[in-house]
Amino acid sequence: MDQKTAGLNIAIFFCRQLDANQDKNRRAIEKELGLRIRFFPLPCSGRIELLHLLRAIEAGADVVYLVACPEGACRYREGNLRAKRRIMFAQKLIEEIGLEGARIEMVNKTAEMPADIGAIAMELLARDAKVSISPVRSNAVASFIEK
Amino acid sequence: MITAERKPMAEIRAMLAPYRKILVVGCGSCVAECASGGEKEVGLLASALRMDAKIEGRTIEVREMTIDRQCVYEFIDQLTGIADRYEIILSLGCGAGVQAVAEVFPKMLVIPALNTTFIGETKEPGLWVENCRACGDCKLGYFAAVCPVTRCAKGLFNGPCGGSKNGVCEVDPDSPCAWQLIIERLENAGRSDLLEAIYPPADWSRQQGKGPKKIVREDQRSEG
Repeated sequence: MDQKTAGLNIAIFFCRQLDANQDKNRRAIEKELGLRIRFFPLPCSGRIELLHLLRAIEAGADVVYLVACPEGACRYREGNLRAKRRIMFAQKLIEEIGLEGARIEMVNKTAEMPADIGAIAMELLARDAKVSISPVRSNAVASFIEK
Repeated sequence: MITAERKPMAEIRAMLAPYRKILVVGCGSCVAECASGGEKEVGLLASALRMDAKIEGRTIEVREMTIDRQCVYEFIDQLTGIADRYEIILSLGCGAGVQAVAEVFPKMLVIPALNTTFIGETKEPGLWVENCRACGDCKLGYFAAVCPVTRCAKGLFNGPCGGSKNGVCEVDPDSPCAWQLIIERLENAGRSDLLEAIYPPADWSRQQGKGPKKIVREDQRSEG
C-alpha cells in the first residue's frame, strides 16, 4: 500500500536550492492533501536540526523526509553531508522510545527525479508505506493540524 | 569545560516512572558546549519524553527550562516559584549542577539526565577530548602545556615510554603521544632544558582521600 493510501501524515523538509519555484510547485499537492502534508523549506539541508525532526514526529507526522541535493553537489559544500549524520542520529533517538527509525528518512535528489518539489513529494507518497500510523499521532493530530 | 553525555533513555525513563509533572532543566554553560545539556538537548529530551508517554498511553506534563549555569545560586534562583509546581526536576546539568539545584530546592527530588564524564576541550565540531584530571597540582608549566597525567596513557612524568610510533600512542592509536608533543613544544620554545629535570610523582593527596575539595577566596566572600 502506498503512503497516500495508508493515510500517513507526511512532513517534508527540503533544500530550497532544489527548486527555485518551490512555493508555487507545492501548491497543488498541498491543496489535494491539505493538512496531511507539510513542507518546510530550508536554505540548505545542512540547516536541519534534530529538534525539527523530533518536533515534527511529536506534532503528528508519521513520516518525516529531508530532501537534499545529491552528495557532492551541495551549494555550501557539505551541508547535505552534515544533514545525513543528523538524520542518522535522529533515527537513533526515536528508536530509543520504540518508534521505527524509518519514520525519518533522507532523500538525496537524483537525476531521474523530477525537478519540482511537488512532483518529488508525489513520488515519495507513491512509495510503499514502510510504517503505519504513528502511535504518537493519536494524541497529537490536533497539534499537527493547528500548526 | 566539564563534559557529559546523556544517559540511556531506558535509565531516564525508569527514574521518572512514578512521576507525571516533570521540569526538565538544562544548563547553558559547559554541557551546552558539549551538546548534551543545553537548550536544544532539553528540547530533544522533553520531546522524547512526551512522545514516549503518548506511545504508552500515559499523560505527563513536561516543562522545559534552560538556565545559564546550574552551579550558581543566582541562576538557579530563576527556578524559584516554578520548580514547586512539578513533582520532579530532571537536570541536564553536570553532577555539580544537579547537586546545586537539589540544595536550593531541598524538598524536591532532582535526578540527573547526564553522566558527567571529564574536563576537556572541544577539539573540533562533535569531538571533545579529556585534557585535565583536576589533580590539584598542575605541572603544565614544566611540560609545555601538555598534561602527561591526563594525555599520556601511562601517566609518565619523566619522559616517553618509547612505545609510540609515528607520534601516536601505542595504547590508544587515536591519540597523539603526549611526550612527543611535550618534547616538540619545548624544543620549539627553546626550553628543552626542562626535559633534564626529574619530577617527583604527582601529589594525589591533594585530589583524593580528603572528601570534597574546596577553594576559598576571601576577596570573593560575602560578609557573615
